[in-house]
Amino acid sequence: MAVAKRVPGTWSRLLAHPSFRLGLVLFALVALCGLLAAWLAPYDPLRNNFRARLVAPGEAHWLGTDRFGRDILSRTLYGAQVSLRIGLAVAGVTALVGGAVGALAGFARRLDGPLMRFMDALMAFPAVLLAIALAAALGPSEVNAILALSIAYVPRTARVMRAGVMVVREFPFVEGAQAIGASSTRVLLRHVLPNALAPLVVQQTYVFALAVLAEAVLSFLGVGPPPPTPTLGGIISEGRDYIQEAPWISIVPGIGIALTVLGLNLMGDGLRDALDPRLRDAVR
Amino acid sequence: MSALPVLLLVSLMSFAIVWIVPGDVASEMAGPTATAEELAQLRDRLGLNKPWPDQLLGWYSALAVGDLGQSILLRQGVGAAILERLPVTLSLTFLALAIALVLGTALGVLAAVRAGQGADRLAMGAALIGFSLPDFWLGLVLMYVLAVQLAWLPTGGFVPFSQDPLGWLRFMVLPAGTLALSQMGLFARMTRAAMLEVLCQDYVRTARAKGMPGWVVIGKHAFRNALIPVVTVAGIASGVLLGGAVVIEQVFSLPGVGRLIIGAIQRRDYPVIQGGLLLTATIFVLVNLAVDLLYAWLDPRIRHGRG
Repeated sequence: MAVAKRVPGTWSRLLAHPSFRLGLVLFALVALCGLLAAWLAPYDPLRNNFRARLVAPGEAHWLGTDRFGRDILSRTLYGAQVSLRIGLAVAGVTALVGGAVGALAGFARRLDGPLMRFMDALMAFPAVLLAIALAAALGPSEVNAILALSIAYVPRTARVMRAGVMVVREFPFVEGAQAIGASSTRVLLRHVLPNALAPLVVQQTYVFALAVLAEAVLSFLGVGPPPPTPTLGGIISEGRDYIQEAPWISIVPGIGIALTVLGLNLMGDGLRDALDPRLRDAVR
Repeated sequence: MSALPVLLLVSLMSFAIVWIVPGDVASEMAGPTATAEELAQLRDRLGLNKPWPDQLLGWYSALAVGDLGQSILLRQGVGAAILERLPVTLSLTFLALAIALVLGTALGVLAAVRAGQGADRLAMGAALIGFSLPDFWLGLVLMYVLAVQLAWLPTGGFVPFSQDPLGWLRFMVLPAGTLALSQMGLFARMTRAAMLEVLCQDYVRTARAKGMPGWVVIGKHAFRNALIPVVTVAGIASGVLLGGAVVIEQVFSLPGVGRLIIGAIQRRDYPVIQGGLLLTATIFVLVNLAVDLLYAWLDPRIRHGRG
């Protein structure tokens, strides 16, 4: 009995992609560390221990301690949790808001001009600087960091969504739906949006990565979530004055950020190749 | 991007940053020790006791004559304070852009010519790591290794180019190199993709078929055409670098606009924040306008009106 050979689905294509696999492993590792911080951390990340100040990495403290004797490994694990939470929230908020703005701009020609000029203006500010200024003006807190970063990164998502919708809008099946009398809302929600989501998914993986990097900058400059919350950028900033005697304080959390961002970027590349056949065939 | 409406919106947004401050801007700026009289004076100076249309009118009529307002802390005009520090920031940004463009396109061409081979993987891996590292952290680590441990370079500080060009380079090479890294990675990827597309065009095959040496084909026919998308990205990169410079200046103690703005943010000097935001965004819009013109010059199809 002959069985038609199935075209491999998106998931199996993804898992066959070497950089996606590597990215998934890296990101899963960091995500698990963040999620299980409460179980994995050997010490309380906030507890001072003045008998163990600036201890070098060793048996008692695998990754050393800071000037208050706080365990760097424990602080980095909790910091990763905060970074991931903020990154995920920013990716979610920009997907909703940017996705809506982009879809409207791409679908309703009358709204395109005003909406996209507004996005262009937001994008004219360097994203990191805009996020710093907004976070400082709103006041340092986790929610305000999410808000500031979402405003700074929303134009990129809106642009990608708009471009995707504009391509799908011209397909014959959309014309067909319009011809049989489907309302604009129905055409947009049922026919255009589902077919324009792939680039959005890819983009949001990169936005997640950018948000983790930018959150570190906010915390480094003291406008992120306020102490005593351990943040990766905050730990790097605290270690700055001790870079000569205790370089591990600043070095360790930076590696955490780099692994998170590297994992996300690798996953983004894999998703791009798997979800966008045009790019896969053209570039690879 | 149509520059004029965008510039108008940018100036509106730069001003509006004071409106999102929860509570009273004046008492936040003046601190807890301020007397009622001082507060009233500050509100008066910032025009905060006027209704918002009047505040905006004041902002735009001052902008029209090039007045960005007065810094509260520096007791200096915001425009003058920024102009004084702009050369540091612009030279840092442009040096970083130059490093990123030269190394990034070289890496990208190498990767495209050796596509699928070890050199390609290595170059693309390096590019990916380049834009995955937090630049301020990398700056600290490089400073620790190259300046503190090996003492090859100064740990921070600045001399103007006009006074001592070599000394300027010694102070600038580490911050600019750090800043360049992420954009270098993006340029490398962009160049590789563009080169791969160009290399399978008919005119490249023709050039090879008529016996032109390989490096001439790559340099003259392929690279020039692959450069077009890269130039577009360079406009956007200039904005990213300008934002990154703000943080890098902080790490390397460079006396630029970035440190001015961060200082203003930490001490709630809102006129400086507004002016700094407006200025960086305006530079970005103008650079991208210039890129559009350069684009037309590079691509004759656009220069001669498509086709």
